[in-house]
Amino acid sequence: MNRDTVEQVLRDYDALRRPGADPELEAVRAAILLEDVFGVALSDAEIDPAVFADSAAVAALVARLQGAV
Amino acid sequence: MCGVCGIVSYDGPPDLALLRRMMGRLGHRGPDGNGYYRDRRAALGHTRLAIIDTSGGAQPLCNEDGTVWVTFNGEIFNYVELGAELRHRGHIFRTASDTEVIVHAWEEWGEECFSRFNGQWAIALWDRRAERLVLSRDRLGVRPLFFIRRPAGLLFASEVKSIFADRSVQRAFDPAGLDQTFTYWSPVAPRTVFRGIEQLEPGHYAVLDRNGFRKAPYWRITFPERGREPVQDAQENADALRERIVEATRLRFLRSDVPVGAYLSGGLDSSVTAAVIARYTGAPLHTFSLRFADSEFDEGLYQKKMSAVLGTQHQDIMVSPSAIAAVFPEVIWHAETPILRAAPAPLFLLSKLVRENGYKVVVTGEGADEVLAGYDLFREARVRLFWSRDPESEKRTRAAELLYPWMARSPGRMPAFARSFFGRRLDPGDPALSHRPRWDSTSVIKSMLSGDLQDRISGADADDVVATMPPDSKDWDPLSRAQWLEMTTLLAGYILASQGDRMLMANSVEGRFPFLDRAVVDFANALPARHKLFGLEEKYLLKRAFADLVPDDILHRPKQPYRAPDAASFFTPDRPAWFEEVMAERAIAAAGVFEPSLVAGLLAKCGRTGGENMSNTDNMRVLAIVSTQLTHECFIADGEWGALEWSLPDPSVAVDLTNDDRSVA
Repeated sequence: MNRDTVEQVLRDYDALRRPGADPELEAVRAAILLEDVFGVALSDAEIDPAVFADSAAVAALVARLQGAV
Repeated sequence: MCGVCGIVSYDGPPDLALLRRMMGRLGHRGPDGNGYYRDRRAALGHTRLAIIDTSGGAQPLCNEDGTVWVTFNGEIFNYVELGAELRHRGHIFRTASDTEVIVHAWEEWGEECFSRFNGQWAIALWDRRAERLVLSRDRLGVRPLFFIRRPAGLLFASEVKSIFADRSVQRAFDPAGLDQTFTYWSPVAPRTVFRGIEQLEPGHYAVLDRNGFRKAPYWRITFPERGREPVQDAQENADALRERIVEATRLRFLRSDVPVGAYLSGGLDSSVTAAVIARYTGAPLHTFSLRFADSEFDEGLYQKKMSAVLGTQHQDIMVSPSAIAAVFPEVIWHAETPILRAAPAPLFLLSKLVRENGYKVVVTGEGADEVLAGYDLFREARVRLFWSRDPESEKRTRAAELLYPWMARSPGRMPAFARSFFGRRLDPGDPALSHRPRWDSTSVIKSMLSGDLQDRISGADADDVVATMPPDSKDWDPLSRAQWLEMTTLLAGYILASQGDRMLMANSVEGRFPFLDRAVVDFANALPARHKLFGLEEKYLLKRAFADLVPDDILHRPKQPYRAPDAASFFTPDRPAWFEEVMAERAIAAAGVFEPSLVAGLLAKCGRTGGENMSNTDNMRVLAIVSTQLTHECFIADGEWGALEWSLPDPSVAVDLTNDDRSVA
């Protein structure tokens, strides 16, 4: 998956964020998406609302995990 | 839409009286006319629901020199374009019907013609010179086609009851067919619940001639290797999907010589098709909906909203549990198989409403859940895979709450529920991982089968649908494998049959399904899985493609599966008398499918609650037993149902060439 596609997926994910939803549950929702689309596995520590609150942090996480795959 | 039937007999002329009886049992599929063709080897019958070229187009119909005859149920939506191409190649047409395109297409392209058709069909072609019968069924099984092979020929028909018009055909349940029904919700083609009766697989054609009987696919459900889908850009794909759905809907609305209505369920799919009709055809639209008194099942609010947005002339029918019970024998007479939900019954009542309003064609949203990934089953499979990567993780266990919000109110129950739900038959390498929970929970019905039937099932040839998955499916996305299983089992066997064709044709109404258009399906199957199920967002691309046509609260409302009151429908104070008859201990024993003492226990349990608040398993058990008993009563026992026939008017086509020497090659 090239960089443009990764960025597009993350933009699409951003558009689906649910304001006001339980942040921990939304982190789980995002983790399901990222693991499926990018074929990576997240640790419990990475399924963290703080990470998923920030698009840049999500992008960095995906880049790091993809580098590790 | 019509009824077709026929006889091939290599050891003597087919019996015309039998053919007429077979046609009489298909009168509901074609009340507008009928016709037959017979020569020394074959007879074709047809009952007509006139939709295209209503003044011409009577069937059976032949080519220029009368050597190829066809009887046809369905629509070839691209018949205009194919007809132009065939005329250009020198074929001479006598009618403006899509039926005539079939015979010329067969002459021109042989069996390759089927892959050129875009539509929904069951076709029988008889080539007099070769003494060859060709049967064909549409790609996904919208139209039914049954047959029974004989030593010197074959009988075929749109419905099994037509084949049973031949009293020499043995009428008995097929244990393996019942086994499939109580696992997958329906038999999987070519199997049926009746011994010796086969159904042609969707996407296949079959040939019978002096060399024997053979079948082959002209189309298969297939998906690309994960990561190698042709277009990865979501917006580009959304635009292309919209273009195809708009064209598919326009074709189905405009290619008719009678008015076309539309179903409006209140969900996304039928809202899209109705909105496309309103936006892109400019024609006035009449919409029809089901309502339920029980708010658990009712979607009236959304139906009214969508109807108001589109400005349609709207009608609905309120369905009560008593109404379901009242029509249930008729429903089973039409469905011709045990069913595990009462949901087809309201659809029977809805098509009746359509017909009473003067319509005989409706466009519906059927197929979108399978083609564009709308079912909860797909979301559940994704969550199960997510959880399987670390079953001890507390965070992963919380994924259950995303599927079932009530879990959040019961955190104490969560770990046990998660283990039982996610952990059940969980093998990430299992190609049917998505479907094991459903199949396992359905199979619980079999604990109530009689000992004799259980023995016969264990001794029968096992049909493992998973073993028939294409070898390259191992490289597909897991969602694609789940879609393949869903299209192969539930879509063809239940959604399009018991809930679709049979409930529509029961009242002489044709359903048209834009989401099952050839171009839509081929395009959707080639999409990246994430464009269909984006994380847990179902039908992602469809929502994106039609965000401007569907109101936000319909676009983003949680998926509500279509359901109707199940066991509760049969335990009302005004329960019809038929129930006591078919569920009596002696009737259960006579059918031989279920163990009478276990049935009595279940009925007593339901009686205590009026059928309310039963578990999913008990609801399915009740429906399985009631519908199996009715199937037995209608088709196997020598009851009044077994002999029901329409009195047909004089045929508009009556060709008998049994005395014509040219009929023998």
